[in-house]
Amino acid sequence: MDYASMFSELLKGLLVSVEIFFLTLLFALPLGLLIAFGRMSKNCIVANIFRVYISIMRGTPLMLQLLVCFFGPYYLFKIPLASSYRFAAVIIAFSLNYAAYCAEIYRSGIQGIPAGQYEAAGVLGFTPVQTFFRIIFPQVVKRVIPPVTNEVITLVKDTSLAFSLSVMEMFTMAKQIASAHTTMIPFVAAGVFYYVFNFLVAFGMERLEKRLDYYR
Amino acid sequence: MSKELLKICNFSKTFGDLAVLKDISFSVKEGEVVSIIGPSGSGKTTLLRCAALLESVEKGDLSYGDLQVCVQGVYAGKNVLKDAKNRFGFVFQNFHLFPHYNVMENVTKAPLLVQKRDKKEVEEMARQLLKKMGLSGKENSYPCELSGGQQQRVAIARALAMKPGILFFDEPTSALDPELTQEILKVIRDLAEEKMTMVIVTHEINFARNVSDRIIFMADGYIVEEGEASSLVDHPQNERTKEFLAFISQKG
Repeated sequence: MDYASMFSELLKGLLVSVEIFFLTLLFALPLGLLIAFGRMSKNCIVANIFRVYISIMRGTPLMLQLLVCFFGPYYLFKIPLASSYRFAAVIIAFSLNYAAYCAEIYRSGIQGIPAGQYEAAGVLGFTPVQTFFRIIFPQVVKRVIPPVTNEVITLVKDTSLAFSLSVMEMFTMAKQIASAHTTMIPFVAAGVFYYVFNFLVAFGMERLEKRLDYYR
Repeated sequence: MSKELLKICNFSKTFGDLAVLKDISFSVKEGEVVSIIGPSGSGKTTLLRCAALLESVEKGDLSYGDLQVCVQGVYAGKNVLKDAKNRFGFVFQNFHLFPHYNVMENVTKAPLLVQKRDKKEVEEMARQLLKKMGLSGKENSYPCELSGGQQQRVAIARALAMKPGILFFDEPTSALDPELTQEILKVIRDLAEEKMTMVIVTHEINFARNVSDRIIFMADGYIVEEGEASSLVDHPQNERTKEFLAFISQKG
């Protein structure tokens, strides 16, 4: 196999990795906010449900969650496995898992906003919804960018776990080519791709952080 | 006779076992400036916070003019509370400006979003308020770029922008050094001259004596003494008041 066709295979895989990456962010970032609200609920039953959810998501391997998401419907409900469900299962498992981590990051951000901000908004007559979206949330975003960046970078690398469901993302491709042609090169190339991807992510997040630097 | 803007009857409140307000009653008339003084832990800040609906009382009545906000410890519905919040403004000890908004936005957001007033009118008014506060040219600055005294003046402008009937001050100068304190006291003095109705919790006894019509002295959750400002400071009747004023003047 020549290098050109090897790289084109890897790039195809990279596209799938990128797809997993963006779809996971798209679902996990907002879902995390809902879970954070649940976790902070004044109703202790609701709060405990979300506490247990977060505990399970953080306490078990993501690879295991991937397998449960894919095979669970068959073993639990006898729903026949469809190959087309493979990719969806990856997105569901990644989103549910990453949302749990994001929820805890948001929670720390929200709880770190001084009570005075709520009081000031309250005496000015802001409704709770206005207070959250106009006053609290913008400040939370600024505070959570560094820890969220950590999660996003981990996500880039974790997309390789989709290989456990044989989804044709970059790592799966690299492994296939490597074993078919007994060469290390696809692994080296994949490593470089992941690194460059993360370099761009870190660069973008740093730009975002700078843009919010106009206040303390 | 001028009308009563705020009336508090038999306020009682406890934090756990600690009774912080014990049967407090007082009222404020239009144009009046009332100062509340007293040692730390006497309940004066809690009283102001209860009046501003930042905390709730267990017993007592609260009304703003014709608006009954709380009757015997039972609060009225959401809409009444929302109406009530339009009748007073609150200035905090630590300013609590919104750090992600610039000065102009801090002043104009609530009138625009809560009172749904016209943008042009609100911005024009905000500019004038800021000018009055000596903050012209600071419209686009962020709170972190201002001194404590400037921040507190923005906070006062923000409260005034809502056109409140009464302005509450909770130890407005306690977070400031002496020079900046004078800056804020001057602003409050100017407001008093314009007959702005105000209730001020403060440790600045001389300022309270000069600017207020009436002073309330609180200790241990009670109103111990209440009277015309200069006579209360110069000729206190109650032993507890005498002790407190003597202690303050010693310290000063």
